[in-house]
Amino acid sequence: MERSDHDRPSHPREDEHEFSEERESLWRITLGPTIWAFHFLISYAAVSVYCFKFERMFSMGALRIALIAMTVAMLAAIAWIGWRAFLRWDVRDTGEFSNPEGSAEDRHQFLGHAGFLLALVSFIGVVYDTLPLIILGTCR
Amino acid sequence: MTDRSIPAGDLAPRGIYPPTEEMLNEPVPREVRERQEENLRRAWKTPEGWRYWTAVNNSEVGVWYTMTAFVFMLIAGVMALLMRLQLWVPENDLISADMFNQLFTMHGSAMMFLFAVPMFEAISILILPAFLGARDMPFPRLSAYGYWAFLIGGIFVIGSILFSAAPKAGWFMYPPLATIELGIGSDIWLLGLSFIEVASIAAAVELIVGALKCRPPGMRVNVMPLYAWYVLVVGGMILFAFPPLIAGDFLFELERSFDWPFFDHTRGGDPMLWQHLFWIFGHPEVYIIFLPSIAIAAMIVPTVARRPILGYSWIVLSAVGTGFLSFGLWVHHMFTTGLPNMSLGFFSAASEAVVIPTGIQLFAFVATLIAGKVVMTLPMLWIAGALAIFTAGGLTGVMVAIAPFDWQVHDTYFIVAHLHYTLFGGMVFPVIAGVYYFFPFFRKKMLSERLGRWSFWLIFTGFNITFLPMHLTGLLGMPRRVYTYPEGLGIDWLNQISTVGSFIVAAGFAVFAWDIVRPKKDQPQIERNPWGAGTLEWSHEIPETKWGVRSIPHITSRYPLWDQPKLVERMDQGRYYLPDAEEGLRETIVTSVIDARPIQVQRVTGPAYITIWAAAFTGGAFILPTFHIYGPAIVSAAFAVVCILYWLWTSTARPPEKDMKDVGLGLSLPTYAAGPQAVGWWAVWITMLGDATAFASLVFGVFFYWTSNTAFPPPGAEHANGYLVALSTAAFAAAWALTRGARGLNRAGRVGSARGALAVAPLLTLAGMGGFILSVMDLDPASHVYPAMMWALMVWVVAHGIVGTIMQLYCLAGSLFGKLTPRYDADLWNVTLFWHFLGLTALVTGAMMGIVPRLM
Repeated sequence: MERSDHDRPSHPREDEHEFSEERESLWRITLGPTIWAFHFLISYAAVSVYCFKFERMFSMGALRIALIAMTVAMLAAIAWIGWRAFLRWDVRDTGEFSNPEGSAEDRHQFLGHAGFLLALVSFIGVVYDTLPLIILGTCR
Repeated sequence: MTDRSIPAGDLAPRGIYPPTEEMLNEPVPREVRERQEENLRRAWKTPEGWRYWTAVNNSEVGVWYTMTAFVFMLIAGVMALLMRLQLWVPENDLISADMFNQLFTMHGSAMMFLFAVPMFEAISILILPAFLGARDMPFPRLSAYGYWAFLIGGIFVIGSILFSAAPKAGWFMYPPLATIELGIGSDIWLLGLSFIEVASIAAAVELIVGALKCRPPGMRVNVMPLYAWYVLVVGGMILFAFPPLIAGDFLFELERSFDWPFFDHTRGGDPMLWQHLFWIFGHPEVYIIFLPSIAIAAMIVPTVARRPILGYSWIVLSAVGTGFLSFGLWVHHMFTTGLPNMSLGFFSAASEAVVIPTGIQLFAFVATLIAGKVVMTLPMLWIAGALAIFTAGGLTGVMVAIAPFDWQVHDTYFIVAHLHYTLFGGMVFPVIAGVYYFFPFFRKKMLSERLGRWSFWLIFTGFNITFLPMHLTGLLGMPRRVYTYPEGLGIDWLNQISTVGSFIVAAGFAVFAWDIVRPKKDQPQIERNPWGAGTLEWSHEIPETKWGVRSIPHITSRYPLWDQPKLVERMDQGRYYLPDAEEGLRETIVTSVIDARPIQVQRVTGPAYITIWAAAFTGGAFILPTFHIYGPAIVSAAFAVVCILYWLWTSTARPPEKDMKDVGLGLSLPTYAAGPQAVGWWAVWITMLGDATAFASLVFGVFFYWTSNTAFPPPGAEHANGYLVALSTAAFAAAWALTRGARGLNRAGRVGSARGALAVAPLLTLAGMGGFILSVMDLDPASHVYPAMMWALMVWVVAHGIVGTIMQLYCLAGSLFGKLTPRYDADLWNVTLFWHFLGLTALVTGAMMGIVPRLM
């Protein structure tokens, strides 16, 4: 079992220290879903405001294009997050799909795995939420 | 020796970690062991006689909580039976229409607010510490306070039906029906349930901090029990889901009490805002109920399959993913309200997407069962029933998530069938499975195998007989919430089948309830680990001891009882951490968030009356306004504040008798923590996150009116006084700066200056509050929704200002009386954190009152 990190002396501000050590992967596990949440919120708010306030002023085409462009950018971001998490999971080198040991290495790879899976589900979520923009063309 | 120049909160743990095998092998002499056990027993003694009710230990509070929620559930079940009797034949006159309205409103409200959510909190309080090898939750008195608040609020709400005064506008209280409703029913719902929501948030804070900071040394995030992951996710969801409802309740009650027209369209209001706020709460709520129950399945499945769970990371994904996606579903309850189709499309798509993570965890369970050697125990039987029923409910869920289909079945019995399938499969069955599984843990007796099977088959068949026909009843057109129906619609026989089924369910519950309460004195002592499980709670001691764990173990695996062979023996011998309670204090170990490295010894509070008093007075503050008794309500609120201050002052963040403590195995830990190291700081941070969400909901309200209303603010409307708003905002900003400054000055040892800052800051806060009040004085809140909204923002910031002032004065008093010193400054850290949020709230309020309306 990998124990090396256990041997380091305790840090007075253990939590801040740990977060800086693992900040990236902790972030990454919720970053995918957070992008989904923003995508959802922005699409919904933009369409609502448009439909209630500005429907008579200009057509929806511009808004749809803007939102779809945003979607593409966000999907790219999620894909990048997922790829980085996949590398962290490191399944191709270790062949370990599950990381059940109480070692630092396993915790590291586990956070990669969870982040990767969450990126996957967020990607699908964003694609789903873009379908109405593509299929439906108007407020009604 | 401790370095007196370092703040106590910054002391580092000293000594050896992790423990070596040789250290763990060293035996503990018998007399040492006995002395330690004696100390622990004394520290963790449950009060006796009538003082028993002052207990705050999770093992007592958890049982009361669970049993209370169960009783409320039985009462709400009886209401359902009465409704089924009324629907037995067409044109029945057994129950009046008015009483029927009360019954279905209370059935839904009680099942949701008095059973489903509290049951999660109750079970978690009861078993989470045991999963984590902790002695107790970090804030036992907070759990007790939450419980008493729940009991008082629950009795008040559910008791109203005995006086025929219960709410009757449906469990979602839609205005305008609920706003114009005469009588006090709606007020009982709004105030009583707000009170209980406060208890829910208290429990969420407790559980999140518990799962993050009270894990045993070595239990990193990738080995913690799945249940703890679910608790984290659900706690987080409560923080973002309940506050919008609290904000909605706040507006609603202002309309009911003072006629401020938030939901009255004749004066610019909009009933749709309530629907949005209610369902932003209401849909995540479904998952708040579902996830912790399915978490119980995640604990039972590996035990019966005799193997570790398959796809641990996948289940974490599924919990976190569901937690997020469930916030994008709320409008699917509002498909028929005439929102733009495009908007409906987003919610329909998200409703379909949430099926993916929800399904993944079920597949992970099935895979684990296939890969293992299943022993069909009673708990597993209930889990199997849960999976079958929930899947059926999930499939109709996929159907109703499609807007055009929903237009057909909205508000019919099809929906009643769908939601009962999801809730029975997703909550009731797994929870009963959990009761059978964990009963030997918390009562040290087994439940009856025979009665359990009887109860299962009665409830399972009865359930399907009741609710399967309802799909058809609904498709044939029977609407929900009608007290009777005419003959000849082809639904008579379907209703009769449902009524018969409901009584079979009731019989099953009777058997189950009897099994729980029947005397078990003569039963033999149970085995220590009757199911052969691998998780830490089955290291419990038989016969029962009250100290939780004899010593807090070092964990290196997901299933320590399976993988760490000498673990239980070493725990029992006191070979691990904190085997003693020399000072006679209740203690547990606090560890770091990610890797669970031990960082502190946390002193936890013991039995007290003060929590009961605090809950009773808080209850008065919520309940008296129902009857429009405002003076005594304010007095009651003041008493509640006094009680809470007394409780905090006497038992939290007090300078310890020594700064470091030997916890065994060559490790010394600090006994005091401040700032992000302290559990109290985390609790404030989490609470304020919820508070900020509620405030954000109010701000959302302003923008909502702007989009939904052609004239918001109405042309030529008077605005809040701009100068006063600017000055008040500046006063709040200065009060914030002084509070933050006081923390730095105090740490630097400049105690006099810190006291000066803490004395001036409350004056500035008062000035700021006064300014905000004066700025809206010329506006008439009952005239239109715009001035009403400005008043609501003012009330919000002033109420928080009062709390902020009390906190500043609390710290000033702490400094004067030696509770708060440059070395022991946890209180000031927490208050500063509160003020970061309050400063931001005041800034946003200033902008919302002073700038935004002038631009709209």
